[in-house]
Amino acid sequence: MQWVVATASFLASAVEFVEAFTIVLVVGVTVNWRSALLGALAAAATLALLVATLGVALVQWVPLDILRTVIGTLLLIFGLKWLKNAILRYSGLKARHDEEAIYEENLAKIRARGEVGASSSRFDLFGFLLSYKSVLLEGLEVAFIVITFGLSAATDTVSRSNGIASAALGALLAGLLIILVGALVRAPLARVPENTLKFVVGIMLTTFGTFWTGEGFGVEWPLSDVFLLILAVIYLGASFLLIAWLKQVKKQQQVLEIEHQPAPTTVQTQEVNP
Amino acid sequence: MKVIKAIYNFIVGDMVILIGVALAVTVLALINNISFLAPLKGFSGLFLIIAVLGSLVGSLSREAFSSRR
Repeated sequence: MQWVVATASFLASAVEFVEAFTIVLVVGVTVNWRSALLGALAAAATLALLVATLGVALVQWVPLDILRTVIGTLLLIFGLKWLKNAILRYSGLKARHDEEAIYEENLAKIRARGEVGASSSRFDLFGFLLSYKSVLLEGLEVAFIVITFGLSAATDTVSRSNGIASAALGALLAGLLIILVGALVRAPLARVPENTLKFVVGIMLTTFGTFWTGEGFGVEWPLSDVFLLILAVIYLGASFLLIAWLKQVKKQQQVLEIEHQPAPTTVQTQEVNP
Repeated sequence: MKVIKAIYNFIVGDMVILIGVALAVTVLALINNISFLAPLKGFSGLFLIIAVLGSLVGSLSREAFSSRR
């Protein structure tokens, strides 16, 4: 069991599962639970098939060095994207992800279509497809993380399979936890600290991406695997500095906006001579 | 075209990050394969970290100072 891989996969998957759960919940409440759950199950089966086929193919046929370079680079790009968005949200330059608002928005859309009939247990194609699409799209990110993390952490074919299994276990636990919590509260999981999770995952993906890309090109990191912690500290420190800088930028922009606002015009009254 | 755009948005979604990482990987490949550049091999790790941070700063700057925001 590779705990670092499982933890990273758990955190990243939890974020995606919250987003998918919100849509499934809307479909369940507004259309019916049968269509919502069937759509979610069909998407989960599609994802399992993808991970199994792609994962096995990559494990058996691609040399480790090439795999590390390609996957490290992909992980780096993916991690930087998450980190960038989390930094923008922390600094206030981007709105935070609001599951409550997404829930209400989707609810209004479905109601506008006249699809309100949660009491009906009849299979509804629209509800099924909406649930399927959202779980599949969010799940694809989870599958991507499971495969890349699982493969990159390995040093030989046996540990590559072990890596994928650890990452898949992390994702599965995250899925079960979100479904359990969601079923208990029966509401969008707005209280999950989504931005914090995305920030932590962004740091982890960028750290591992840098490390494996470097190893793919023959870089010998000082202190070997311990250098992963040093890399994480470097990126964490840089991120905090960037957040502080962007907060300053936002303040300056707000001051400039206020200064450039047109002064309120005074109403000139004219004396009307009779 | 739609499929390519969807894949691009799914994995990257940011041109600055993509170009930054692609450039870094290209330079590392050159250092690794051209004997003339072999003395720089010891600095590959440092270069990669600086390139990653540079891409992040570049991408954030574009977002912060973009007129579209």
